[in-house]
Amino acid sequence: MSKRRNAASLLFAAALAVVALLGPAPAAALDLKDMILDPGPLKPVDSVIKVRPGQMAPDFSLPGVIFGQGGKRLVHLSDYRGRKNVMLSFVPAAFTPVCSDQWPGYNLAKDLFDEYDTVVLGISVDNLPSQYAWVLEMRGLWFPVLSDFNPHGAVAKAYGVLRGDGTAERAIVIIDKKGVVRFAQSFNINIRPDLELIMRELHKVEEGAPGTLQQDKR
Amino acid sequence: MHRFLAAPLLALLLMLVLALPALAAKPKEGDVLPDLEIKTPLKPAEQEYLGLPAGAKSWRLSQIKAETLLVEIFSMYCPRCQAEAPAVNRVFEKLMASPQGAKLKFVAIGAGNSQFEVDFFRKKYQAGMPMVQDADYKLHKAFMGVGTPSYFVLKSLPGGKGLKVLYFREGQFEDEDAFLEQVLRAAGAK
Repeated sequence: MSKRRNAASLLFAAALAVVALLGPAPAAALDLKDMILDPGPLKPVDSVIKVRPGQMAPDFSLPGVIFGQGGKRLVHLSDYRGRKNVMLSFVPAAFTPVCSDQWPGYNLAKDLFDEYDTVVLGISVDNLPSQYAWVLEMRGLWFPVLSDFNPHGAVAKAYGVLRGDGTAERAIVIIDKKGVVRFAQSFNINIRPDLELIMRELHKVEEGAPGTLQQDKR
Repeated sequence: MHRFLAAPLLALLLMLVLALPALAAKPKEGDVLPDLEIKTPLKPAEQEYLGLPAGAKSWRLSQIKAETLLVEIFSMYCPRCQAEAPAVNRVFEKLMASPQGAKLKFVAIGAGNSQFEVDFFRKKYQAGMPMVQDADYKLHKAFMGVGTPSYFVLKSLPGGKGLKVLYFREGQFEDEDAFLEQVLRAAGAK
């Protein structure tokens, strides 16, 4: 009996040692980076973009989540016609390495997008509950996150940014107030597009807007 | 009984062995980091603060005129870095204001951030410390690919032998004064 108790306490001590050595459990993960599955390098682009500058952007309606505005709502691209420029930011999937590190930057840069009278629409092929949890994890976003889930990737397909594995490309499509595509590019999925490039393209759309690109020149 | 115990103990041992690489991957006190060339041009006020030659196109952390350095690894895209930015500014101001703190120089490195992105972050938060771009993640890699934000207190080793880690913290600090105290103690300024 005492042998068994000794053995049990030995096991307990060993378990404690493991816990101590491993440090805090994932609950105390320091960054979103610590909680996500890293798929390693992926094929940079796995589709052929269909939309071209100068053409009308294919219209769509997708359900989306807007942080702090409760539940889901249907967002129509055409609702922005005549009111706002639109930047579609397609990302491969929720809770993946680069994406989790992209929209929080657009969140911080709201002033810059406002300056160019532009709304961001984030789009992924995930379902709404996953997107909602993801947006919460990113501590909220000012722009809608749209779910291109059912039929799967239909909007991504219409724009030519649906990859072979069913995820979307890391693509940026800028649409002006007339509903015309002004910029469309699928970026290397493994890398985040530079904010400067986006602002330069928005600057072209809203010529005469205050010079965002003139900040902090050295 | 012993046979009964062998399997779980073996499993525990295996877990320990598997956990070792993950443990080894984090920086610790005494580690020496490479002192890479930094190509971010600095503004005159930043050069003056760091004691670097005016107009230098490239420089190294070891060239900074200071007993020790406080280095933050951040990203414009990281929500935790955004949330902590005002507190980090206050830490910088408190360092500047105290005689002990003035012996440390503070540099922030934007992991994966372009010059535009670093400048945007600086402007957004009115950050006072020098901030350098690291668009290709070279510096981030040299700093062992830590999560953001992370903080190092470093001492430059003589003869260009690298930067010795005196203090490392990964993740946000809860109390800026307690953090400042830890930094100053590690730097030997207290």
